[in-house]
Amino acid sequence: MIVVPCPNCGPRNSGDLRPAGEVVSRPDPATCSLREWREYLYMRHNPADWVTETWYCRGGCRRYFTIERNTATNEIRGQEAS
Amino acid sequence: MSEITMKSPVDLDPLSASDGNVTLEDAYATSKIQVRAGAGTIAAALLSVSYGSSTRNDAGDLVCGSRPDEWTIYGDPGRADTIAASVPTEGFVTVIDITHGRAMLRISGSNAASALQKICNLDLSDELTPNGAVFSGSLGGVSCDWVRDDQSGETSFLISCERSFGKFLFIAVADACIEFGLHVPAGWELHGH
Repeated sequence: MIVVPCPNCGPRNSGDLRPAGEVVSRPDPATCSLREWREYLYMRHNPADWVTETWYCRGGCRRYFTIERNTATNEIRGQEAS
Repeated sequence: MSEITMKSPVDLDPLSASDGNVTLEDAYATSKIQVRAGAGTIAAALLSVSYGSSTRNDAGDLVCGSRPDEWTIYGDPGRADTIAASVPTEGFVTVIDITHGRAMLRISGSNAASALQKICNLDLSDELTPNGAVFSGSLGGVSCDWVRDDQSGETSFLISCERSFGKFLFIAVADACIEFGLHVPAGWELHGH
């Protein structure tokens, strides 16, 4: 079990939340290439290291927020509302 | 226009343990008004209860800070229109009567928290969920809105969920209470379904 700190609800079982994945910057669809758009949609770095992720508090406040999570240890640091 | 008569998903009298330490009753008829109001609106200033807490207003309705910028007001049966009309709608505000869309139950008694703790992962201790606490979380796998609303000093929780899950939730909670002496009538056992 991972305990994820929601900025509104406090520490919650990750089962009450939904991970929305790594934070990636969105390219301008009017000017980017198809490759850049595809990489934005599907390609992730997925390192065994610290990653900034978006989570959705579906069981609580129903707000999105970001955290930094170490994907190797599940250690979590930092949190802010999206 | 024809009126649709809504009825509770739980057509059952209140259940009680023989020692009285846990009681479970349907509270579907409770008036439930959901208010979403942006910061700076008159409604937000009037309701004022912060997220995670609740208070009773002068009319005796329970005003709950359900989520950031969202409140739920619970009142006696039949008061939904009155409560809704009392909320100013100037600005970025929505007021919705969700009375019939949400099932609701009340579980009370000194063993209530222990019974609920069997089927949820929330910490229901007095320290984290004191009287008046408002929170959300799954109970028996069902997404629920909770209010700790003690009655005459006795621990009590008001729990609501989407109406279509109401009967299952009641049965799941009743099953958790059997260990604490609650008598569950035939046809309402969890494993009979």
